[in-house]
This record gives sequence, structure tokens and C-alpha cells, in this order.
Amino acid sequence: MIIQIDQLNKRYQQHQALRDVSLSVQTGSIFGLLGPNGAGKTSLIRILTQITEADSGQILFEGQKLNPSHIYQMGYLPEERGLYKKMTVKDQLLYFAELKGLSNKQAKEKLKYWVDKFDIKTWLNKKVEELSKGMQQKIQFIATVVHEPKLIILDEPFSGFDPINAQLLVDEILLLKSNGASIIFSTHRMDSVELLCDHIALINQSEKILDGNVRELKQAFKKNLFEVKYTGSALLNKDWMQVIETKEKDGYITQLIHIGLNLSPNQFLQQFIQEPIGMVSFQEKLPSMEDIFISAVQQKNINN
Amino acid sequence: MHKIWLICKREYVTRVMKKSFLLMTLLSPLLIVVFYGFIFYFSFNKELADEQKTILVNDATGFFDNKLETSENIQFKYQAISLDSSKIALDSKNYYAILSINKQDDHYTYQLLSNEQPSLSTLSAISDKLEKVLKDKHLQSKGIEAGILKELNDISVQITTQKNTETGIEKGNSGATTIIGFIGAFLIYFFIFLYGVQVMKGVIEEKTNRIVEVIISSVKPFQLMLGKITGIAMVGFTQFSIWVILVTSLSGPVAALVMEMANIDPSALAKGGKEISMQGGNLELLSGFSHINIPLILSLFVFYFIGGYLFYGALFAAVGSAVDNETDTQQFMLPITLPLIFSIGIAQTVINAPGSQLAVWLSMIPFSSPIIMMIRLPFGVPTSEIIASMAFMIAGFLATTWFAGRIYRIGILTYGKKPSYQELFKWLFRKN
Repeated sequence: MIIQIDQLNKRYQQHQALRDVSLSVQTGSIFGLLGPNGAGKTSLIRILTQITEADSGQILFEGQKLNPSHIYQMGYLPEERGLYKKMTVKDQLLYFAELKGLSNKQAKEKLKYWVDKFDIKTWLNKKVEELSKGMQQKIQFIATVVHEPKLIILDEPFSGFDPINAQLLVDEILLLKSNGASIIFSTHRMDSVELLCDHIALINQSEKILDGNVRELKQAFKKNLFEVKYTGSALLNKDWMQVIETKEKDGYITQLIHIGLNLSPNQFLQQFIQEPIGMVSFQEKLPSMEDIFISAVQQKNINN
Repeated sequence: MHKIWLICKREYVTRVMKKSFLLMTLLSPLLIVVFYGFIFYFSFNKELADEQKTILVNDATGFFDNKLETSENIQFKYQAISLDSSKIALDSKNYYAILSINKQDDHYTYQLLSNEQPSLSTLSAISDKLEKVLKDKHLQSKGIEAGILKELNDISVQITTQKNTETGIEKGNSGATTIIGFIGAFLIYFFIFLYGVQVMKGVIEEKTNRIVEVIISSVKPFQLMLGKITGIAMVGFTQFSIWVILVTSLSGPVAALVMEMANIDPSALAKGGKEISMQGGNLELLSGFSHINIPLILSLFVFYFIGGYLFYGALFAAVGSAVDNETDTQQFMLPITLPLIFSIGIAQTVINAPGSQLAVWLSMIPFSSPIIMMIRLPFGVPTSEIIASMAFMIAGFLATTWFAGRIYRIGILTYGKKPSYQELFKWLFRKN
């Protein structure tokens, strides 16, 4: 475990930002911290990065009580991005790397790697204000990871990225992961990271309402929904299946179907292809993170 | 410590490497010289600065006829006119004013009619001239001859000052002490303002660019604040050193040039006696500098220069952290700038009475001591007072830094509404 959080509480004046939050992040995994705006994600991250202190509770970093020396092993990309506009790219990156504990020499070596990788040699002596927004995002990302932190914390990493750069970012993150780094994603756009994350925790109104392995959660919250695509005429409800939604496009019919609990997918398919249709595709429809979030919130409200 | 150094270095390098820094550093001494050149030019060039005033004397008694002394900018014409024609004379603007003199019983009455409210100096100049005529008349009536009257007028007194100090009696020079003190005080005032505001702007920049969150995840807010303040102080010091070098290396040739021009200037010679005595005064002023404890003043100047800047720099940093943009700073700047402006404003009073209770107290309080102490120093200040003042300065700096640090750590991460004083006070004691 790279991070273990136990019973964390944080209060700002009138507002309880975190209430008894416990969770853990496995070393070398990608962890998604999901929840709507204002749920308490950034508060949690600020405590992790030691910008603020928790009122109570404990955090362990690799089994050790969190202390200032751990800062060097973390890289943090805040939601609100910022660079010194009048500084050159090179000076800026070296500065951030040195603040993270690298010597000037080490910083220059590490920088060289990223310069080659992102092919930004021609940009090095340009001031940040001369760069495009996408370029600035890349620089900021490099600044976050240049000191090769063990834990990388990315707050809303994809906001402001165009699709090409977002993909580049995803590739880099996966590469960092394969090199052994652990990554925490924080975002309110839950669907954007569910493919990337190994584990997630859902935060709502200062509390963790659910956490676990993404695949297991999807299994646990699945509702026996299947998506079928076929040609022919649209089918109606039967005693062994219930049509939730029907779409028709370019002569294909796509239906979302709820199958009876006593039916396995194989049995269902056997029945289904008896119908006068031309089968095109059949796929289990697993709940999205957003669906899971909504059901988890509802469940919690019922329990209360 | 290493991080403070890193931050300090960044603040220093980014500022000093700017083209505008080099430009300002080289140009401002030039601008200052030109600026003061203009001031001197206008203050010595009476024709430009003063207007020529012709006053029509309407003397019904005839007593003052042709007796009032004319001076450089006041001339008198004598003519008896009626009340009606006096308005016409003024309307035509040939005259600045009409002075009507009448006699009632044994007393003369004087009335000045003019187009504008005459200045105090004009009024006192006129009354001086009237009084002189009356006094001369009185003296003459007591049997003093005209020759003796002239001799009386030529009497003039110059006092040389000496100062009793621990090491004996030294030659003093009020002019030199005043000038040295005032220059020191003004430099400190200027430095605190110029660079204090830079600290504030730097903090606001980091806050609005949202860089601060990245940095605060690697350094403590207090380290960031200290690094910034020291870095900017070093920029100021660099700039200041360049100025000193420039001024000392340039002042020789410039002074020589001025001397040369003074020698060949025929009008200066033509003015005769007055000019020579003025030069004598200048020489004495120059020799006065050599009798002041320059090493002590210089080292204390450096101390108060740094101490005052650190004291106020921390406060400026706190203001910067509390707001989101520069326009919001006004409200919080006032309490910081007020003591500074007050100190420089009261400087004249302190020069007149450098040992007064007011001066002593103001040179103890860290809000005013950097400026007031500089003014007092050349006049001689007891060692115990200097030590006390320095101790208060250090304590004051530690206090404002603590105070500013408390506000800063909360302020830099707080966005949105401008906080009230009440909220700032709460920040002081809030947990992290």
C-alpha cells in the first residue's frame, strides 16, 4: 500500500469537508477519486500533499506516518493550473524540480529525458506566455512528474486538454504506472477515468460512500442489462425479457434489454435468436461509474 | 533553508535578468539628476519662478514717496489716484496691486487692493519695506545719520556650530547633518515603498496564476514568503549598489564640470559679494561632512534599510496574499503606508528638534524608526537609544513576519471574496 487513510476528518469554519474518510491506494495502481464538485476531493488531496492538515485521522505513506519528507515523492497537478508566465520553460521546470529536492545537475538530466520525449527542445528558452494552452499543459505535466515521484496526484487532469493531448496524457500515465508509480486521479467526470482506474472511491457530501476494484464494482452493481443489435422489426416485451430502450438507425435496431434473473446470457441468446431477426451483436451492458454513483447515493439515502 | 534559497534565487534572477531592470537601474540616476536639475534651475531662476509685481502706491500723506526699496520682484510706482480710477488701473492689469496709505490721527493705515489674494510672502515683503521706512525715519529723528543707517543694514551674522561628544568637542554643521539624515531617511522610505509593493505584486501574481498550490505542495508558505522577501531585497540591494558605484564614479567628473562652468560664468562673477559668500557656505557645508561619524551612519543605514524593508515587506506580503487582484489592495495598503508617509512628513519637525521626546519615541517604534532614526543620527544619538531602537526593530520584524506568515498561509489558498479585517484577525489563530 502506498497510501492508507484512516478516519480522516477536516472542517472549515461552518463546513465539514471530510467526515471519517478511510481508503487505501495500492502501490503501482491507478486510483480514481470520484465525486461531484464540492464533495471533498480537493480537501483530501490538499491534506495528502500537506498543504493543509487534517483535524483528526491518520495517513500512512508506504506504512510510515505522513511527514514533510514524503513531499519529494509526490507529484501534484492541481485542478487550477499555473506557471510563471514570464519565466522560460527551462528555468521553470528546473525550478520546480529543485523545489522537489533534486540537485541542479539531477534536474537537468531528468529534464533532458522529457525534452526528448515530448520533443520540446525548441520551446525550452521560450517564455511560458508565448506558448499555446496545450503546450502549457504539457509543461505543467512535466513539472509534476519530472522528479519521478512514487505517487502522482492529478486533480481533474483532462480538463482543458484536447483529445490528442488527452490521449498523450493517458499514454504517459500508463507508462508511469508500468514503471511502478502509483497514481491518484481526482475528477467529477466519472466516466472519463473508469477505463484507466484499477480502484476507485466515490466521495459524496464529505463522505466516502463506496470504494473497490472497478471490475468488481461493475459486477456488483450490474442489473442484467444487455445490448442487442439486429436487423428486422423491433421486438416487444416477452416473459423472459423486458425492453428498456429501443433505437433505430440505418436499418439496425439497437435495444437495451433486461433479462430474467433465472436466465444465463447463453440461455437468453438461445431464445433470442429464435425470433425472426438478423443478429448483429450482443453485449452485456455494465453500469457506468455514474450509474454506480447514483445507485450508491440512493442506497445510502435509503439506509439513512 | 535550501528551499528558501531556491525561492530567493528565482525571485532575484527573474527580476535582475529583465531588460527593464537594467534600463531602470541605469536610467533612474539620470532621471533623478535631470529631475533635480530642473528643480534647481527653476528655484534659482527667479525670472521663471517669480512674477514681476508692480505695485502702485497711492500715498495721500506723501510720506513714503520714493522711499520704498524695490526688490527683484516687487517694484513700486507712486501716483495719487482716486478710488474710481484705481479699479480701472487694476482692470488694465498694468499693476499687481494698489497700496493706499492714509493717515488718521497719528496712525498710518494701509490698504492693499489687488486682483487676486496676495501670497503671504508678498504681503510680508511689502510690510517689511513699509516698516523699514518708518524705522529709519524714527532713527533719523533720534539723530542717527544716514551713513550709520547704511552700516546698520550691512550687519550680518553667521554662526558656526560645535558639538560636545564623548570624544571631545567637534565642529558641527547643521546643514550637512540635515542633508545626510534626510537623504538616508528618504532612501529608506523610497526603498520600502518600491520593493514592498514588488513583494505584494509578486504574491498576487503567484496567487492569481495559481502557481502557489504547486509550490505550496513542496515548500511551507512561510518559506515561500521569506524567500520572496529576501530575493526582492537582494534585487533592491543590487540596484542600490549599482547606483552607488555610478554616483561615486560619476560625481567626480560632474563636480569638476560644474566647477569649471562656475568659473567661466561671467554672470556669477558679476553678482559679486553675495555669490562669494554663498560659495563660502557651500565649502563649509562640504567640510561639515567630514565631521560626521560616517562609518556609524553608514552601517546603521544598512541596518535600518534592511530592517525597515523586512518589517514592511512582510506586511506587504500579507496584503498580497489576502486579495485576489491589485485593485483590492487599497483598503489594506492604507494602514501600512500611513506610518511611512507620516514618518517622512514629520521629518522636518524632527530635524528642528532631533532630541525631543517626539523624535526619541518615533525613533524607537519600528513603524517609524528606520526613517526617523536616520534623520536623528547625524545630530548624534546616545548609544543606549541606538541599541534600544535596533532591538525594537528586530523584535518588530520578527513580529510582523510571524503575523504576516499566519495571514499568508491561509490567504494564498483562499480565493473569492475579499476578506474583512475581522476575517484576517481570525486567520491569525486558525489551525492549518
